[in-house]
Amino acid sequence: MKYDFLDSDVLARLGALPVESRLAMIGNVVGKHRSPHRGSSVEFAEYRKYVQGDDTRRLDWKAFARSDRYYIKEFEADTNLRAYFLVDCSGSMNFASGEHDTKIQYARKLAASLSYLLVNQGDAAGLSCCTDTLHLEIPPSRRPAQLQIIFDTLANIVPTGETGLIGALHTVAEKIGQRALVVIISDLFTDPAALADALQHLRFRKHDISVFHLMDQQEIDFDFNRPYRFVDLEDGTSVVAEPNLIAEEYSAALKEFFRDVEAACHDVHADYHLVTTNQNYEDIMRDFLTARLPKQGRG
Amino acid sequence: MTFLQGSLLYGLFALSIPVIIHLLNRRRFRTVKWAAMQFVLKATRESRGKKRLKQIIILTCRSLAIAALIFAISRPMLGGFLGWGSGKIDTVVLILDRSPSMERRETDGQPVKRESVLARVATAMQELDGARLVLIDSATNEAQDIPSPDVLPELSTTGPTDAASDIPGLLSTAIEYLQEAKPSRSEIWIASDLQRTDWSPDDPRWAAFRAGLEELQPQLVQLRILSLNSRKRNDYAITTLAARREAGELLLDLELTREEDAGPATLPITYNINGARSASTIQIEGQSIRFQKRLPLEGQSDGGYGWVAIPTDTNSRNNVSYYAFGAESPAYAYYVHEEGVPEEVIEAVGRAAAPGLPNQELTILPENLGHQVDWERASLVVWQAALPTGPVAEQLLKFIQTGGVAAFLPPAQDSENSFGGISWGSVTESDDGRYFIVKDWNHQDGPLRDGVDGTPVPLQRLRAILRREISGDATELAEWDDGSTLLARRIIDNGTALFLNTLPDYTWSNLEQTAVHLVALQRSLHLGSQRHGAGFFAIAGQSNARPEAEEIRSRLDAYTKDDPANADYEAGVYKFGERTVAVNRSISEDSLEQTSNPDLDTALVGTNFQLFEESAATGAPLVREAWRAFLVAMLLLLIAEALLCLQPKRPLAPPPPPHPST
Repeated sequence: MKYDFLDSDVLARLGALPVESRLAMIGNVVGKHRSPHRGSSVEFAEYRKYVQGDDTRRLDWKAFARSDRYYIKEFEADTNLRAYFLVDCSGSMNFASGEHDTKIQYARKLAASLSYLLVNQGDAAGLSCCTDTLHLEIPPSRRPAQLQIIFDTLANIVPTGETGLIGALHTVAEKIGQRALVVIISDLFTDPAALADALQHLRFRKHDISVFHLMDQQEIDFDFNRPYRFVDLEDGTSVVAEPNLIAEEYSAALKEFFRDVEAACHDVHADYHLVTTNQNYEDIMRDFLTARLPKQGRG
Repeated sequence: MTFLQGSLLYGLFALSIPVIIHLLNRRRFRTVKWAAMQFVLKATRESRGKKRLKQIIILTCRSLAIAALIFAISRPMLGGFLGWGSGKIDTVVLILDRSPSMERRETDGQPVKRESVLARVATAMQELDGARLVLIDSATNEAQDIPSPDVLPELSTTGPTDAASDIPGLLSTAIEYLQEAKPSRSEIWIASDLQRTDWSPDDPRWAAFRAGLEELQPQLVQLRILSLNSRKRNDYAITTLAARREAGELLLDLELTREEDAGPATLPITYNINGARSASTIQIEGQSIRFQKRLPLEGQSDGGYGWVAIPTDTNSRNNVSYYAFGAESPAYAYYVHEEGVPEEVIEAVGRAAAPGLPNQELTILPENLGHQVDWERASLVVWQAALPTGPVAEQLLKFIQTGGVAAFLPPAQDSENSFGGISWGSVTESDDGRYFIVKDWNHQDGPLRDGVDGTPVPLQRLRAILRREISGDATELAEWDDGSTLLARRIIDNGTALFLNTLPDYTWSNLEQTAVHLVALQRSLHLGSQRHGAGFFAIAGQSNARPEAEEIRSRLDAYTKDDPANADYEAGVYKFGERTVAVNRSISEDSLEQTSNPDLDTALVGTNFQLFEESAATGAPLVREAWRAFLVAMLLLLIAEALLCLQPKRPLAPPPPPHPST
């Protein structure tokens, strides 16, 4: 394959699983996702009283025969899904330990694979790459050519600078109208309170939010055996520390960070996934897709 | 503490090695590009305080471990006797108290104090490699180089003696030795039981010692006192106060003392006279008892000797007392009277001085023949005349100083002469129809003391019309009802001068009827006669306990084994040429009084002395090598360091949730 972050075997295996939304979507064409509006699908929705101006063809005569009243029979409307992938391109995403992927490489795999699955099932996919200085946006589209644009963009992004995730979230929330699937792929190394605000903004716009929280295993373990000079991948500042002496405090700070982020996601009913880059991304995606399948049929 | 390999202490500079390694290690870091920087910064901020403290403790443990190792290989000497900072000792001057009080054995089977301290000094000297040992013992008071500490307990100059110690004198000898030898660094060790009579803390020689030490630079001469003053067991001691012939018997004045009043106790006493033994018991209540023992002489007219012993107890040196006595001779009294004394008075005084008892002779001389008194054989001189002056006064004074008793009676004529600072005043007459009567007198001491059975002399019956006032500094033994002195006493060296201010004459008093003067003069004659027995007694260590030139010494008694090397300082009965002398320990050796710490502080002020109080029974060494303790300390420090370096079990980071949380 042209793109190393795409694996055709993985895509073939995951192709059997639809990408479902957890909320009703508002699309621009008919699709397979539930819409908040009434439409012409075969799925009965409700009866309502006839009002002047309604199409008389939609009158339920059997109901009229039983009750001597005019009722209109309504059906669910099916629409397509607009997905928006928001990939953090800050310098910290360029971290990897050992032979594992960098976080940005892992993010590419997730974003590209999900985009493929979405477009393949007739839904629209868009992309937003953000740093503190750059906010690259590709509006959602269901055209097959859209995949090429997304893949090229993902392949060309270079993580650098500080994170611009918070600003990007607010921008996306304002731009893409209502009821879309917003997939955030980031290490979330930003202020958890600001992150919570941004997520609330998205939730206010009735978006279905999914968060892939990428971490490297070494960032969690903090396993060093000698003094190190730690150089920040984002702003270049450095500090000399003896990991043995600060490991306990580091672990506590990290734990607090995870708790805050998870709480922020929980508050907005986001689909939160803490992912380490040593995990198989196929398993992660399968879990993600399976969990979104409707459990008791539609309605 | 002192170190046998003191130069290795320079290795203490190695204490800085852990710190240097730590600082170098901090500079040998690697660089890593890190994403989760916010947590590193936060962790660094929060861990600064307690982590730094932990780091300091770890570094301290490492440094102390190195210090302990260096101390260990420097071969430290521990022991309360040697203090800190002693450095390498060049010479040790051991001042050994060999007095009888050092022969106490506090526990059965344990060595006596002297032997115990010798063994420990020998061990300590072996630890102090190469230090020179100089012994100054209390008997000889001479500095003696000891070639090897091993032989210390075997030397005759460290053996037991009966001579008292003179610690100030011994220290003076030590100072003289050090001034002459000029060692680079020396110590004076005093091994003594701190008996106050030996130390004499008020002796002016202490000041001379301090000045001598100051000249030697106190930092180079350290003074250490090994005090063996523990007393755990009671100790009995027997002393012969006097031995004299009396009516065909030998009368021994003895004193039995004990350190603690442990209630009534009965003690067997063995008497030996000229080789013949006899035994009896004596009951003691309180701390001491004085008693008399009469031993039959069975017609023996020449001199003899013997000993009195009690069973061996804590200190065997004071369980025996020796005595010797001379050939039979009467007690001589002289009565010197002024001209014109009524014959009745002369007879009355004469009857009192020699009432017809056997072995008593009285010579009556007029004042102008006073120089004819045989001062050598006299025991009592009654002087009823103007107080003597000139050569006669000098001879009389010498007679008193050598143990004689002079009884002065008031002369009829006024005189301004004085004797021993005392003179006769004017004659006082009582008011008409009234008498001078006695108000009080000393019932315990003096010639008017109560009898052995407690019966007082009938002094309350005394009535006087005339008396001659006594002026001068003397002890009042009896006083008239108006506060005037009846009988005064002045002790001059070994003898006594008595002044009675009325006469056995009816124109003066009814003394003749009360016979009080008879009692007083007989007791005085008895007291004075002891001066003749004094020549048979000597104190061990003193000059009269040694043979004079051309006299050959031989020991007569067989109570203990003869030690020729220490014969000058051993108690026993000796024959010095023609003389027989009973040599005893000094009575001061039975004294319980100890030199207190304030006394030592005063006597040794400014000398920076160190007092090491140690029980003789413990047998603990004075010094011992302590490298093991330092190695153990090093081990403990390294274990502590290792425990501190152990990383605490890290809390596991939260694993990624297997399923979506929402």
